[in-house]
Amino acid sequence: MTADGFSPLLHANIERMKLLMGYSSDFIVRELVIAGNRRTALFYLDGMVDKTELQDSVISALLDRTPVESVNLEMLKDQVLDTGDVCVIRTVEAALEQIFSGSLFLMLDGVVDGLSVAIPGWEDRAITESKTQSVVRGPQDSFTETLRTNTTLVRRRVKDTRLRLITLKVGQMTKTDVTVMYMDGLADEKQLRKLIGRLRDSKQDRVLEGEYLEEMLHERKQLTIFPTIYNTDRPDTIAAGIMEGKVALFVDGTPFVMLTPALFVDFIQSAEDYYQRPFYSNLIRLLRYVALSICLLAPSVYIALTTFHQDMLPTQLLLSLAAQREGVPLPAFIEALLMEATFEILREAGIRMPRTIGQAVSIVGTIVIGQAAVEASIVSAAMVIIVSITAISSFVIPAYVMSIPIRIIRFVFMALAASFGVYGLTIGIIILVVHLCHLRSFGLPYLSPSAPFHASQQSDAIFRMPYWKSTQGQTKQGRSS
Amino acid sequence: MNRGQRIILALTACMMMLMCLTGCWNRRELNAISVVLAMGIDWVDDQYQLTVQVSDPSQMSMNRSVGQRSPSIVFTEKAPTIFEALRKITTKASRRMYLSHMRIVIINEEIANRGIRMPLDFLFRDHEVRPDFYMAVAKGCDAKDVLAMVTPMEVLPAMDLYKSLSVSEHAWAPTSAVNVVDLMQMVTKDGVEPVLTGITLIGNREKGMKIDNVKQPRAYSEYKYTGIGVLLDDRIVGWLNEQDSKGYSYITNNVDSTVGHVKCPDSKENFVIEVYSSHADITPSIRNGKPKITVVLRSEANIGEYQCKADLADEKVFSQLQEQARMEQKMTLENGIKQVQHKYGSDIYGFGEAFHRKYPKLWQSWKKRWPEIFKNELEVDVIVKSELHKTGKILNSIAKQP
Repeated sequence: MTADGFSPLLHANIERMKLLMGYSSDFIVRELVIAGNRRTALFYLDGMVDKTELQDSVISALLDRTPVESVNLEMLKDQVLDTGDVCVIRTVEAALEQIFSGSLFLMLDGVVDGLSVAIPGWEDRAITESKTQSVVRGPQDSFTETLRTNTTLVRRRVKDTRLRLITLKVGQMTKTDVTVMYMDGLADEKQLRKLIGRLRDSKQDRVLEGEYLEEMLHERKQLTIFPTIYNTDRPDTIAAGIMEGKVALFVDGTPFVMLTPALFVDFIQSAEDYYQRPFYSNLIRLLRYVALSICLLAPSVYIALTTFHQDMLPTQLLLSLAAQREGVPLPAFIEALLMEATFEILREAGIRMPRTIGQAVSIVGTIVIGQAAVEASIVSAAMVIIVSITAISSFVIPAYVMSIPIRIIRFVFMALAASFGVYGLTIGIIILVVHLCHLRSFGLPYLSPSAPFHASQQSDAIFRMPYWKSTQGQTKQGRSS
Repeated sequence: MNRGQRIILALTACMMMLMCLTGCWNRRELNAISVVLAMGIDWVDDQYQLTVQVSDPSQMSMNRSVGQRSPSIVFTEKAPTIFEALRKITTKASRRMYLSHMRIVIINEEIANRGIRMPLDFLFRDHEVRPDFYMAVAKGCDAKDVLAMVTPMEVLPAMDLYKSLSVSEHAWAPTSAVNVVDLMQMVTKDGVEPVLTGITLIGNREKGMKIDNVKQPRAYSEYKYTGIGVLLDDRIVGWLNEQDSKGYSYITNNVDSTVGHVKCPDSKENFVIEVYSSHADITPSIRNGKPKITVVLRSEANIGEYQCKADLADEKVFSQLQEQARMEQKMTLENGIKQVQHKYGSDIYGFGEAFHRKYPKLWQSWKKRWPEIFKNELEVDVIVKSELHKTGKILNSIAKQP
């Protein structure tokens, strides 16, 4: 119904457009008479166009500067309208699309075509500091909800002709702009084509955030709780990724940009690592791996050692643990489960709560978890220490998406440790590693460059070599090929 | 094979691997076990009297009132075998005895005289027992009494006994902290005989078992590690005095640091050498068909105390002192060896083993007769190459300038 062209009669076109939009209150039709007697109509959505530009460059220009003789679209486009992006529209569908993206649509009486004038001007958020991955030293800007602002933030950092952008509209209802950004020649062509193909074929009716696409882009038949696509609101991370041959996916309306392929090591690295001396950042990376292991294993190792392998503890430690457990009515596993669950509840409450109540929750949390539970002999002090260190460790992992699977697996490991001791734990770790080895992200093995091992790509895998030791582009480029 | 089958196979493999786990696999909460820290084995009325010392966890915790109850609890039970006695203790205690953290086992002299092989059998056989505890022989009292004593330093008597033994071994040579694995090796090996350190109680024993024992600076009763007991096979045959015990520690390279007095070259007074490094080499040789052992002791020492009159600043005096110290050490070693050789005939130094290593073929013919050879034919030569190094912070004793 909308794919066909317009009628030569202006009032018929106006009626048709209004009908299509269902007489929505923000759909404005402004009728003008230009060049003395020529009737014309402007269609736009209120709030989506820049009011000053509409007034100065379109309405005033049309009324004041239009010469009387032979008014046509070509002439208006070339001589009258002094805005950047003007093009001829032939179908109703295209016209609507332009209107939805913040353009003004102009029609002349007696002409079956129209002109679209791009003067988008909606309110958007200013560029602020990154809220999720802040750094001490390094760029402080972050992406916003506006697609063009976001791509510009990256373009400004990579001044290279090989940087390519492909924009598609995804979502039948939302018609969200999705931009694929990559370096020509560095990114894996085959995977890129597959990605764009999948985006094109998407039957999704809405895309409000990257996650709507992320689930679709996962390797097929790959069931995992580990993230295989990285996301960040830091432009420098995205720029670095693109220069390593990765592909970035910008979705309009969200400040989080996705990056693929994403390997396990990527989630343990932080932008800050590259802005500090390698000696320091490597120590910090080491610390992160330690924190990762603590977050994953601390409660389960504690359970295994205190309920199965008391002989593995030093005597003094055993005696002091035994003293603390004296009077605690619950088995160690239930005790740990109780505390971990309490902590997860507090964390969830803390994230979603209005800022002003935050303090109240943290006070209740500290007193409930920390003191009262121990004093009431419901949990032992050692368990509180274990749960606290586990909780703190989970915040050390720089990528939030990675701390989620670790938190989930922790509970599985606790159950394994409670029923089979260190044996169960070992089996659990083996299964976990096998699973990770089995994963692929965008065609790359998830654990590379460690498994399969590539000696040449170790310069920025677990540790980062100094820049003079490795020319970054060369070493990392191999990872995607 | 499809995915489902693979998962089932993997799970089955895990289950199968469970079969490899025997014995130790058992779940128990910390508050269902009693941690046994010390065990005493006595031979009383022709049966074993087993004493275990466990910690009372409620007394170890920080936020409970300490001092109301004793931090250690002692259970005693008699039975013809040790295992039975241990299980019989459950009739007196509310928790299962957990043996992995045993620090020390004390046996009484009767057991040592009867042989330690039998009682040790259980401790080696039981899967829970970790063979890294020390062993000592209670001299002149029962193991039960030693374990029931309230000790001054550590809250747990077993820890006190354990630490005291390992500290004294390091800083004062004439005790020997015998790990039970080493002991068993010495019992089973050819050409070396085991030793055990002795422990005894001094003072008022009755009062020593009350908590009052530690309520004044000077305890009513205290324990004391005494010299080394010589075993032949698995029976104790005699005790070495302090000097001979030290000689044993020198030869078996167990001296970390020790002090000893030496007669002054010019007067009746003494000076003390503080040995801080010592190494002894045992070299076997055969002379005229007879075995000969050369012990070369290299030690380094400082002067720790000086009561002599001679001027220490004089280099000649210093080398005189060094000579004197060497003589003293040589005497210590020689006397000790002679004593052990002729009185007990038990090769605790492992001379036989040295022969075994160097002359494996010859050893086969000596093996049977070795105790006899050791007692009568073995010639031992001691060479001391000790050195004196420093005099400490001051040179001569404090005296008025002449």
